[in-house]
Amino acid sequence: MTVSEHLHTLEIRNLTVRKGGVEILSGIDADLRCGEVTALVGPNGAGKTTLLLAILGQVPYTGKIRFCRAVEHGQGAPRIGYVPQRLPLDPDVPITVLDFFALSAQRRPVFLGASRRTREIARESLDRAGVAHLLQSPLGRLSGGELQRVLFALALRDAPDILLLDEPVSGVDIAGEEQFCDFLSKVQRDSRFSLLLVSHDLSVVTRHADQVICLNRRLVCSGATTEVLTPENLAAMYGTDAHLFRHSHADGHGHLHDDGGRRGSVQE
Amino acid sequence: METILSGVFALMDRLLPFAFAEPAFMKRALLALLLTAPAAAALGVPLVQHRMAFFSDAIGHSAFTGVALGVLLGVSPSWTMVAFGAIVAVAITLVKERTELSSDTVIGVFFSTVVALGIAIISREKGLTRNLQAFLYGDPLAVTDAELLWMAALFLLVSAYLAFLYNRILLLGIHEGFARTKGVRGPAVEISFALVVALVVTAAIHAVGILLVTALLVIPAAAARNVAWRAASAFWVSVGVAALSGFAGIVASWYLDTATGATVVLAAAACFAVTALYRVTRPRE
Repeated sequence: MTVSEHLHTLEIRNLTVRKGGVEILSGIDADLRCGEVTALVGPNGAGKTTLLLAILGQVPYTGKIRFCRAVEHGQGAPRIGYVPQRLPLDPDVPITVLDFFALSAQRRPVFLGASRRTREIARESLDRAGVAHLLQSPLGRLSGGELQRVLFALALRDAPDILLLDEPVSGVDIAGEEQFCDFLSKVQRDSRFSLLLVSHDLSVVTRHADQVICLNRRLVCSGATTEVLTPENLAAMYGTDAHLFRHSHADGHGHLHDDGGRRGSVQE
Repeated sequence: METILSGVFALMDRLLPFAFAEPAFMKRALLALLLTAPAAAALGVPLVQHRMAFFSDAIGHSAFTGVALGVLLGVSPSWTMVAFGAIVAVAITLVKERTELSSDTVIGVFFSTVVALGIAIISREKGLTRNLQAFLYGDPLAVTDAELLWMAALFLLVSAYLAFLYNRILLLGIHEGFARTKGVRGPAVEISFALVVALVVTAAIHAVGILLVTALLVIPAAAARNVAWRAASAFWVSVGVAALSGFAGIVASWYLDTATGATVVLAAAACFAVTALYRVTRPRE
């Protein structure tokens, strides 16, 4: 696929984010291309979420983030969808999945009930994500996998040009994770948005990502998945101290183990 | 404004032909509670979701200093209390945002600072203590007509505010970054919410006092969580519990000869107990 075929790209040039005098990200250059899956890989504290927030315009930065849309697809700001890692909710928060849709889909305050249009939108979006049965479920009681699907359905509703997923498979079991990734690939192929996903999971990255950006406060490397994920690059990114190895589960899963991490990988 | 109130009082005489509702001060108290308690409870639902109970407590205690300042400056303490509460609310929100300290830390700092300031003022001005009593324990029976009209205006303001912004406030409480991708302007919504909470807290102080004002925001919302799992039902249960306990508290205080504000809060606590019992005996699936 040549560059001219892309409907749009996101160009990140010399992006630097400072917080309290410390450079969290320095001089990042990267491209996201439409219709491609780009994985953002790096140890904890590498600035992955910060990069997502910069793209969303939610942290101040220096450098350029430029969105280029192909002329035939109209002008205007890109629609960027975002699926956060998790929601800091009490299990008894009185908000159902339908309410959650209503909060962003309708003007009518949610205490006056969900509008008919909201119900249609919610049903349709949830159906597309394969979780139509969750419409009336309380938000705080969803499992990790169910919540990801709901958030994903909600993000897709706006037909985003770019979708940012922060650790989409954290807190999901292996079967659920595979299912979600396959589903993601399918939807992504159909809708041709560009997808940027933060992941700790090398099997997800190698199977589903076209491009990889390796980050550790600065750009360690980027490029096609197969070329980039070499032992040398991984060592450069995670440091030689990090207890890092690839191993295979019986079902062919490879996981990145990073003992300094707050999120342990799946243990056997 | 006199005529509006006398019209309302005449209507209350028809609707409530009971001994307790006869005196004008009881009618004022009833109106004050039916205006402030449901407004506080409606704000309480998102307040609890945002984990801001401590915030409303800090605003309540800032009223202590607001009143002292009013007496010191020779201005009506009812209004300095409102102004000071609003300033503290905005200050807490801004400092929290700029420093990125956790909100309970920032609130803790402000809480103690404003109370210390209040005590410092009172210790200089000996005659102040009697003035403060009414604000500490609340005295709905002493609500003036002007305060009553302010409460009515506030009731309308809160209704309009929530009709316009309720969805955005709840979304912000679910996940700020996500809410912002859905077009919610986080800081602006947060400041406006803090400000409206401050206005309602300072008004509700007339009804239940500084020490108990947080109860009006938190207890009905907590009771609602016991029985409701939809956003709409949680909202209406909270408002209903507040209105019910406001009414029941006033009536009970008349017959039991107890402090009105405290009796209202006890009535709300009874509602919480009943809903908690319901929740325990009929566990949600």
